[in-house]
Amino acid sequence: MHEISVALEIIDTLDDNGYLVGVKKVNSIKLNIGRYSGIDVNYLSFAFQNIDDERFKGVLPEFVLNDSDEIKIEEIIVD
Amino acid sequence: MPNSNGWNRRSADRGGVGKGIGALGTVGGKHSSRTGGRALTVRLNALESNEVIAGKNKALFGKAFVMNFLSSPGSGKTSLLESLVPLLKSEGLNSAVIEGDVETDLDKRRIDALSVPAYQIITNGTCHLDANMVNKSLYNLNINIKDMDVIFIENVGNLVCPTSYNLGEDMKAVVLSVTEGDDKPLKYPAAFYKSKVMIINKIDLLPVLDSDVSKIKENALSINKELIIFETSCKRKINAGGITVCSADGSGNTNSADSQDRREGRDKGILELVSFIKKNVKLKSEKFKDTIDIY
Repeated sequence: MHEISVALEIIDTLDDNGYLVGVKKVNSIKLNIGRYSGIDVNYLSFAFQNIDDERFKGVLPEFVLNDSDEIKIEEIIVD
Repeated sequence: MPNSNGWNRRSADRGGVGKGIGALGTVGGKHSSRTGGRALTVRLNALESNEVIAGKNKALFGKAFVMNFLSSPGSGKTSLLESLVPLLKSEGLNSAVIEGDVETDLDKRRIDALSVPAYQIITNGTCHLDANMVNKSLYNLNINIKDMDVIFIENVGNLVCPTSYNLGEDMKAVVLSVTEGDDKPLKYPAAFYKSKVMIINKIDLLPVLDSDVSKIKENALSINKELIIFETSCKRKINAGGITVCSADGSGNTNSADSQDRREGRDKGILELVSFIKKNVKLKSEKFKDTIDIY
């Protein structure tokens, strides 16, 4: 169950690249997840529900699955 | 650690599960049209922060060839290191080992007995190593990394989670013992997809198992056709001609052996793996020298 770590890394990546500046709430996050990424999308959804970050409370993760090993943030929708 | 609200960022305990699974996420591509708000296109590697540190690790490793060993618990990663490190040492190559485990420094103690630098990362519950853990361990190894030819990273025993994290290594090597069954590559494809090398270990046990090595290979190659495969035993002793001469308990006839390999009863697969590592040490060293020369 490393999806908790991956969810935290995703938030770090968004933070570090300025995507969360002034953002009060992230409504949804669209992720491209490869079949060989080692990620279970159900666990990743669960991880987002349980992260202690108010901006991500109630975030709806959406997953686009493919045959690669990528874990890529495609888009976020924010308030 | 989880608190009343959930999991904290920067938690030392990343990776645990507190409650049941709630599959609130959706699979598909209808994102923007389904949710209100301002859409921001990101298109970034989700583990970018890990990638940045992995890049720093790669620079710190310098000329050292770095292998990241992945496997289920008990496949024989530490035993493999106990076989490989002395052979590399006898060839004049300097090795160091970074051990990853959820608890205890038992593996590090085994490596310490080989008289090579070793550092134990204890993850305290986390199911994988990440680049930051390895970065810190490099400073704790108390070695001059420039003097190292090979650095082995023994990841936490887990065939899923460690696959997601780049540690800055040159290659991942997945270790699969024959006791695990020949369907493992199909059940845990990510580890086999991301590895350059597969080591089928404990082949001395084949006579008492139903495992089929050809099926293991077929399944693994169906995931990654580029895999370089070694068959090893850390117990069985085979002479240079491929003949079993000595079993784990020391029985068998080694009297007629006159080569060093036969005298010391080394496993053929282990020797092939050592040759592969030596070749890659040389390649990495040459590539590194070329890079230095450019600058």
